[in-house]
Amino acid sequence: MRIHQFHPVLAQGDAMSNHVFALRKKIRHWGFESFAYAIEAKPGVADVRSYRRLFRDVQPDDLLIVHFSMGSEVVDQLIKIPARRVLVYHNITPPEFFSGINPHAAAFARLGLRQLARIAPEFELGIGVSEFNRRALQAAGYEETTRVPILMDWDHFAVPPSDTVLARWRGVRTVLLFVGRISPNKRQDDLVRMLAYYRRCIDPEAHLVLVGAFRDQPQYHARLVALIERLGLGGAVAFAGGVDDASLLAYYQAASVFVSLSEHEGFGVPLLEAMRFRLPVVAYDAAAIGETVGSAGVLLRERDLAEAAEAAALVTERADLRERLIAAGEKRVSDFDPDRVAERMRQVLGL
Amino acid sequence: MSQRSIDLDALMAQVRERIREKREKGIYGPDVEALLRVPLPGGRRIFSDDLEDPLASLAEALDEEVEYDPRSRKPIVGPLITFARRAIISLTRWWMGAILERQERINRLLAAAYDYEGQMAPRFGARLESLERWREHQSAANLHSEHFQARFGGEERVIRKQSEAFVDLFKGRERVLDLGSGRGIFLQLLKDKGIGGYGVDLDPRMVAHCRAKGFEVHEAEALTHLRQVEAGSVDGLYARHLAEHILPGELVEILRACRRALAPGAPLVFVTPNPRTLTVGAHTFWLDPQHLRPIPPELFKFYLEVEGFIDVDVRTFEPSEKRLREDVPEGAIRENVKLLNETLFGDRDYAVIGRAPSG
Repeated sequence: MRIHQFHPVLAQGDAMSNHVFALRKKIRHWGFESFAYAIEAKPGVADVRSYRRLFRDVQPDDLLIVHFSMGSEVVDQLIKIPARRVLVYHNITPPEFFSGINPHAAAFARLGLRQLARIAPEFELGIGVSEFNRRALQAAGYEETTRVPILMDWDHFAVPPSDTVLARWRGVRTVLLFVGRISPNKRQDDLVRMLAYYRRCIDPEAHLVLVGAFRDQPQYHARLVALIERLGLGGAVAFAGGVDDASLLAYYQAASVFVSLSEHEGFGVPLLEAMRFRLPVVAYDAAAIGETVGSAGVLLRERDLAEAAEAAALVTERADLRERLIAAGEKRVSDFDPDRVAERMRQVLGL
Repeated sequence: MSQRSIDLDALMAQVRERIREKREKGIYGPDVEALLRVPLPGGRRIFSDDLEDPLASLAEALDEEVEYDPRSRKPIVGPLITFARRAIISLTRWWMGAILERQERINRLLAAAYDYEGQMAPRFGARLESLERWREHQSAANLHSEHFQARFGGEERVIRKQSEAFVDLFKGRERVLDLGSGRGIFLQLLKDKGIGGYGVDLDPRMVAHCRAKGFEVHEAEALTHLRQVEAGSVDGLYARHLAEHILPGELVEILRACRRALAPGAPLVFVTPNPRTLTVGAHTFWLDPQHLRPIPPELFKFYLEVEGFIDVDVRTFEPSEKRLREDVPEGAIRENVKLLNETLFGDRDYAVIGRAPSG
């Protein structure tokens, strides 16, 4: 038996792709042959096969793991291949977030959600990377569902942090950090508004660093830039774009606090990364965020920007609170220990 | 585990305190609030913000034009793509138009079914209004309470005497809540005994009356208030003649909210008319048209037990003034008279008393 994984796009530095590669590494370690397939492998990604090979490679007693985070015509073809089929759901951002901002993304998300429901009978098991996702699968008509968290591969970060990034932010007292694609569901616009409060009411020198690719949502990015201008925050908000592991590590080290006002996350890998690299987390409790953070961060139940800012300030100012959050964060990360997650995955896949 | 866990409620209380201080000092003023409300420039709001005020956003969306620029900016092939797009648009224009026209009709009809241009549409609005009217009639909420108080409301002296019996239950407490605090009689008793307390009442006149006396009283619905306070922050609860003014479902919700709001071990007391006494259940209970339904003591006790309160007990008081004479010869007749007295002229009020469980 061989184990094949498919996702339409595989890229470097993308949480979804990292999950696919980490799982492949584990499966190979268990002694199975395992391959990753994509329609598009972004530059810098090695050892990925074209999805067309799936139609030749997959044998009836093989296992095909389809990772689902967007609709794809190819998936309609893949479910015709005779094999054991399992779907791993990474969640689709609800189309409402794109409505009126990026109609193309909204339509695409809607198609994805329809497809997810339509193909449900073709899978023997649906795996959500969070309880939030598992419930979504259940609601979409998947009969057998379970939760297995994202498989983290911390080896990526076994690099020295980027000196350039560290040097840039050395000496800046307050650096508020958020990591995630620039996208309306992640509400970077509210982070910018929150920064306006922070600079007026707490620390006039505070900076906001937004790490994450902005090519997918050019309209939203352009409007964010306009908002920053209107609030007079030019120079106080840095768009770092998509970054490599060394830079990401440096941002986690240089920042004072990780702040998330995101309204939709299927899991929230950066929350875990922040905790892993000893950065306290303040996050608005939405979608899967609460279950990922657990009791190891400041979870905001109300959507109030002043409260978010003051909570972030408390965390940066009070050393005892900060230490406790860091300790709780490290403990929380150990709940997602890759060996244990892999073991759970092995168990649910029946390997 | 060596590290202490993080108390989020305490942390958020500090956060709110910081905000309150900044508001007082004028650091967090209207100018900063305005900054927090600056919309995302260059187009529509984010949908989740639209949902906060869906009716206004709906009106906007209905009048919105859809713009599409068919020009392609790609080098060389651009003009060709532009030409193809324009050709397709012109060929499918009437078909698209027909579909859009139908969609437009559906949108307008849907919008009209709920609300149109800020006016409640006849069907939706009328139904809502008739429901509200029904509730008003049911509970006589429009009754002018001061007039009513003057004629039927309990005498202050009597209420004070009744309430006195319960004050000692709250000895040493710091934040006792009087739900439905009315004229503040119980709050005064608490104050006299050096017990910290505050009230909640729906009637703005009662609230003003109490505040004038220097009491802390909030104008709020009992349930809303109980859900807003921090968990475990109230260390005693007294509610006199409240339960008979609400429906059973709401009473259970209130008990559930009490359970959350009360600190472990905190006592709670509900006083209500005793329908076990027939002259109460059949007559005096109904003198107040705002009374919804009598609650038998056994049932009230059961409600508290089911919601997890401990040491639940029922105490009756206020014997009827009129009674059959019991100085008849000993034997069956005297037994019968006693039974009749208990049934017809028993205690008029009862209190159900319990404590929040620890931990």
